[in-house]
Amino acid sequence: MRFLAARLAHSIFVLLAVVTLMFLMFRLMPGDPMAAYISEALSDESRQSIRAQFGLDLPLWQQYFIYLANVCQGELGMSFFLKEPVWDIVMAALPVTLALTFSGLVLAYLFGVIAGAFLAWRRGSLVEGISIPIVLATRAAPEFWVGMILLSVFAFSLGWFPSGGAASPGSMYTSEWQRLLSLDFLHHLVLPVVTLALYLQGLPLLLMRSTMLDVMHEEYVTMARMKGLSTKRVVLNHAARNAMLPVATAFTLSLGQLVGGNVVIEMVFSWPGLGRILVQAVSASDYPLAQGAFLLVAFALISMNFVADLFYAVLDPRVSHDRKA
Amino acid sequence: MQRDATRRLFVSLSMLATIALYGNAPVQAQASGDPIRKIVLISWPQGVNPQAYQASQLIAQNWRQLGLEVEVRSMPWPQHIQTVWNERDKWDTTMWRMVGRPERSDPDEVVYNNYHSTTAATGFNFIGYLNPEYDKIAEEQRQTTDTAKRKALISQAQRLLDRDQPQAFLVYPTTMKAFNKNVWAEDSIVSQSGIGIRNFWTFVRATPKGDQKQMVLNSAEPVVAVSPMYIAGSASSWVTELVWDRLARVGPDGLPQPWAAEKIDWVSPTTVDVTLRAGMTWHDGKPVTIEDVIYSFEAPTMGNKVPMYKSAVADIVKIEKTGEQRARFTLKAPNAAFVTSSLSKINLIPKHVWDPIMKDLMTKPENAEALPNPPAIGSGPFKMVRNKGQEEIVLDRFAGHFSAPKMERWVLRIVPNPEATLGMLRRNEINFLADYGGAPDVLEKLAKEAPQLKVMSEVDIGFEYAAFNLRRAPFNDVNFRRALSMVVDRNVMVQAAWNGYAVAANSQVSPALKFWYDTDTTKIRTGLPVAKDILDKAGYKVVGGKLSYPAGVKETLKSN
Repeated sequence: MRFLAARLAHSIFVLLAVVTLMFLMFRLMPGDPMAAYISEALSDESRQSIRAQFGLDLPLWQQYFIYLANVCQGELGMSFFLKEPVWDIVMAALPVTLALTFSGLVLAYLFGVIAGAFLAWRRGSLVEGISIPIVLATRAAPEFWVGMILLSVFAFSLGWFPSGGAASPGSMYTSEWQRLLSLDFLHHLVLPVVTLALYLQGLPLLLMRSTMLDVMHEEYVTMARMKGLSTKRVVLNHAARNAMLPVATAFTLSLGQLVGGNVVIEMVFSWPGLGRILVQAVSASDYPLAQGAFLLVAFALISMNFVADLFYAVLDPRVSHDRKA
Repeated sequence: MQRDATRRLFVSLSMLATIALYGNAPVQAQASGDPIRKIVLISWPQGVNPQAYQASQLIAQNWRQLGLEVEVRSMPWPQHIQTVWNERDKWDTTMWRMVGRPERSDPDEVVYNNYHSTTAATGFNFIGYLNPEYDKIAEEQRQTTDTAKRKALISQAQRLLDRDQPQAFLVYPTTMKAFNKNVWAEDSIVSQSGIGIRNFWTFVRATPKGDQKQMVLNSAEPVVAVSPMYIAGSASSWVTELVWDRLARVGPDGLPQPWAAEKIDWVSPTTVDVTLRAGMTWHDGKPVTIEDVIYSFEAPTMGNKVPMYKSAVADIVKIEKTGEQRARFTLKAPNAAFVTSSLSKINLIPKHVWDPIMKDLMTKPENAEALPNPPAIGSGPFKMVRNKGQEEIVLDRFAGHFSAPKMERWVLRIVPNPEATLGMLRRNEINFLADYGGAPDVLEKLAKEAPQLKVMSEVDIGFEYAAFNLRRAPFNDVNFRRALSMVVDRNVMVQAAWNGYAVAANSQVSPALKFWYDTDTTKIRTGLPVAKDILDKAGYKVVGGKLSYPAGVKETLKSN
């Protein structure tokens, strides 16, 4: 319990620090959010009135405490630019964002774990010699470049997949769920997901491979072999199962990053996700939206970090966070 | 003796020469003032506007050749507009653009709003051009309803700016758009003067050739608002003008023509009678009445609740209902641009929808801009079906309209990636290229490879320029401004910065407005010798490689 309470307190402290930093950071950035409202017809009086509407005429410390109180109540405010509640904007973009990032992550980890285990088992083979540089190259390649190559080949040339967007032009759905589960949506999802998965697969693959290599020398694996178990059974049931622990932790941490979307992939594939909204919010000095969206990302990250800590402690009895131990 | 005498004479002459040489040195120093401080030229970031950024680099090179120290400083747009618009005495020069819009087809906006002294404090005259002679002409042209006389006044206004060079006009860009001619009948695509083929008339008249009756077009930017009371960006205005009707529209020829109004009659220079078309209905099925029309023009005057359209109704003293379908507008003063700047600008709104909204707004500090997506009930040729501004806007044909579109559906897709945009165009995922910010030659090359595509270009009503801050020395000196403007070769600018897809500029009126454009403004002499000559005659000197003020003039400002 003490461990749980300490981790929780630590997470809350980090979250508070993030909230404070974000508040200050956006206000120290150059530019004025009022720039979005400038028109020939807008008088100084109108500008002051709008400034007052958003509380920008108050001293910074007052703005901070008002913001903190609102955040504690789950109130993220109104977007300066889009003039809608931040919560609504974020929630509207979240389903397609998660559909892309979660699918990409799952695909990357599925592939990474299987391929990592296989390459560890075939250490020193020609397959490993060819595969590792390819894995490193795809991991190092910029996402926009990989995305554009995939677009060029599979969309522009072969015409197998659409060139962008999350659904065909003008397609109508009765609910967001209906859209997310439609074949049209899945068809649009393929190229961005593959791009993201190619970018993400390097970490789980190499992690799995190196952990597997360590595990393969453990006594219980040798024992399993000596018992005459099949290779498949030794790899899957004994070695891979134990080697997956760090990969599972990495997966949990990566889950937290999903919420923020992926700006580059969203731009390349015209994906209407949270990443693009975040970029717009920052460039337009839309404090509430940028703060709200980043706060959500930070909250997800810190929560997943907390879950990973617990997960790790539960999964591996050798690891103990108890100071008495 | 003679040799001594010769030597003494030589020494004396040498001394005299030395005295003359060094004695003159202080006199020469006094002939110039202080060295001019470092000049900052604010520009767009390269990634946002590569052409203007390249232009700013070329301009800086030209100015350095005159002996100026120049820094090109790129800023993100919010910071850029904050500095130029709100800190009007704290910058030297900036790259700027006037965007082409249909309502700018009348030169009044660029002639009056941009350079009249009344807009210098907070309005569009952010450069601080204060010239009573210009003010008089700008006011007169607005009040002159005789077209020939007005044309002469507009020419005078152009020549005054040519003389005073309050800013260095650079180019009128050529906008490029494209469409799929397998989908759309070529003769149904309308090219609007100064706007190009992406315009209201194309959207209403475009005729499908086959089964595909849906126009799919693109915008790189999201649609932030769809409101008859608030335009938030160009894509926002494309949607708004299709959903809400106006009494008049700027036609393909750039001249206003009656639209929702059956007739617009000038009873006197300050009185206009408008007759509304019979049988019009709102998208909710209710009839469009003359009371709705009057309300549409009254709403922007309510408090300061509709700031964006307040100036469009500022000249109206009263509107009276004079019949079931008729209303009379009385103006404060004659206004030649009234049909373009007011009747073609104000969106007609249903009173039964907007009266409760406006009454509610009157009790709150917010204005109508706080409602970016109010009920989309207009009487326009298209009705709103789906508004997801980050993804796509879907409009359907309004069959009950007096000029119902030929297409069934209009879909605006938000595509931020220009390469993907071209890929989509080629694969017919979009069949009308409405927004393209990439390299023009790439688009032309694509059209050659894909014969189903037709690319059309048009010189823009808008223009790109380098603005001087006339509030600050040395830009308050016309000779200095002229030199800085004339050193810039516009033709080099067209080729080197805009890759040939622009026309050289030296006027606030674009050649797209053929009737109003004064061709005499093109007769300018540019180049380094011309600029040096102007500076020399005005007393500016280059001392130690640095351009200095004329004698006696001190530098009082620091570089920002």
